[in-house]
Amino acid sequence: MERIVYMDNAATTPVDPLVVEEMKPFFTEQFANPMTYMHSSMGDVAYTAVENARQRVAALIGSHPEQVIFTSGGTEADNWVLKGTLERATRERLHKPGHLVTTEFEHHAILHSALALQRQGYDVTFVKVGHEGIVDPDDVRRAMRPTTVLVSVMHANNEIGTIQPIAEIARVAHEHGALMHTDAVQTTAHIPVDVDALGVDFLSISAHKFNGPKGVGILFVRDHGALYPFIDGGGQEWGLRGSTHNVPGIVGLGKAAQLGRERLPGELKRLTGLRDMLLDKLSSRIDGIAVNGDMKQRVPQNLNIRIDGIDNEPLLLAMNEAALIAAGGSACTALETVPSHVLTSIGCSLTEAKASIRLSFGYFTTEQDIEYAADVIPGLVRFLRAMA
Amino acid sequence: MDKYSRATIREFMSPSNIGSIDDPSGTGHITDNADSVELTLFINVDAAGHITDAKYRVSGCTALIATLSVLSKELPGKAIEEALTIDMPYLSSLLEGLPESKWRCAGYAVEALHLAIEDYRSKTP
Repeated sequence: MERIVYMDNAATTPVDPLVVEEMKPFFTEQFANPMTYMHSSMGDVAYTAVENARQRVAALIGSHPEQVIFTSGGTEADNWVLKGTLERATRERLHKPGHLVTTEFEHHAILHSALALQRQGYDVTFVKVGHEGIVDPDDVRRAMRPTTVLVSVMHANNEIGTIQPIAEIARVAHEHGALMHTDAVQTTAHIPVDVDALGVDFLSISAHKFNGPKGVGILFVRDHGALYPFIDGGGQEWGLRGSTHNVPGIVGLGKAAQLGRERLPGELKRLTGLRDMLLDKLSSRIDGIAVNGDMKQRVPQNLNIRIDGIDNEPLLLAMNEAALIAAGGSACTALETVPSHVLTSIGCSLTEAKASIRLSFGYFTTEQDIEYAADVIPGLVRFLRAMA
Repeated sequence: MDKYSRATIREFMSPSNIGSIDDPSGTGHITDNADSVELTLFINVDAAGHITDAKYRVSGCTALIATLSVLSKELPGKAIEEALTIDMPYLSSLLEGLPESKWRCAGYAVEALHLAIEDYRSKTP
């Protein structure tokens, strides 16, 4: 098979072979339901594996293991925290619709959950984002109300990779008596993520963004009493999230968390170097290129550039024909031909948004891949510009 | 699944007849900022009213580039009235089926042809 240079790791990453190996027994020999551990030795093996994974994830984010609640991924975690906190505070404390503060450039898991809450009568404020792709904590402060239940701001943006001042925003939230959530799907295992340093009450993680399997994630919940369950069921996860545990997935998440924690310092440096190398090479070979979002406050695995006079759709398709895979907007909106809401939220025109591509790297990205991208993209830009 | 056919991708990667015509019989120009489209179609028409050449310059999506390419190959030899019957279902069939979500953008090719013919007619006594 032709080798594919994959630069869409912000959409998803390959599962590390070490993760696959650790998951394998839990599909076949060790298939028992962990909730049967009291009377079943097989159940006990599964239960122990789930709890080991919980400890590994807790070690990665600096939490207590019981604050790690397994979910089906980042989207469920995001839906749950918004809906679970708003509903609980509204019914038990406020007795009038609670208020949510979030930002205009969140992932759709947050944006669409916020819009769903708005349809149900809750109040929502979408804070604007600056040109550099960084949320100003003072803008969050101005949005706060006495009824604000939750502030939700992503740790790093999924399209432009800009890192948000979460600790400062959490202080603003807490000063106003609100809870703080961050979607750390793009940062966990890529930059240090510590729930105490960030000062958050909730944090979402998805395994498949750091070489774990799809369909599993967590919501870090500092205080179990702060939100209603999202999925009611058989009492798993301290009654906070029903459903039989996805044991292979959870084991895979745990292994990916362990590997991520070990690799983080080296990968942070390596990927920052590769990203900067690619930008330097592309900038010297293509006229009219610019970076979307701040380059310093940015996760190492993300480069989002706009190229004058280019439509990203044919460029990405031509790159794909050259076995180089990248993205325009986020993968979650790939079927829509609308410009990225993230790029327009930071002030890009529609044309600039459609002239932008996201190159995102991962553990398996090599210097050879960077050289290949730096050789291929300029030629394809010339090919498209020659038509105009 | 709404996706491009191999025929569309082949056409896009090796498009025919890109360029312009000096002193063309007719020109159709379209700009649409919302779709990031800029397109000019040039045609030459002989004294008998048959199209002899078609070229274009384009900045836009894959579907539009591929559609213009097949359209530019279809036009030479056609009478004006015949050219006016070319529509998106026909062009899509030449591309072995263009995703319907892309028809609107690809449709700028047909619109540009109509503008070019209108321009030709306005200049022809």
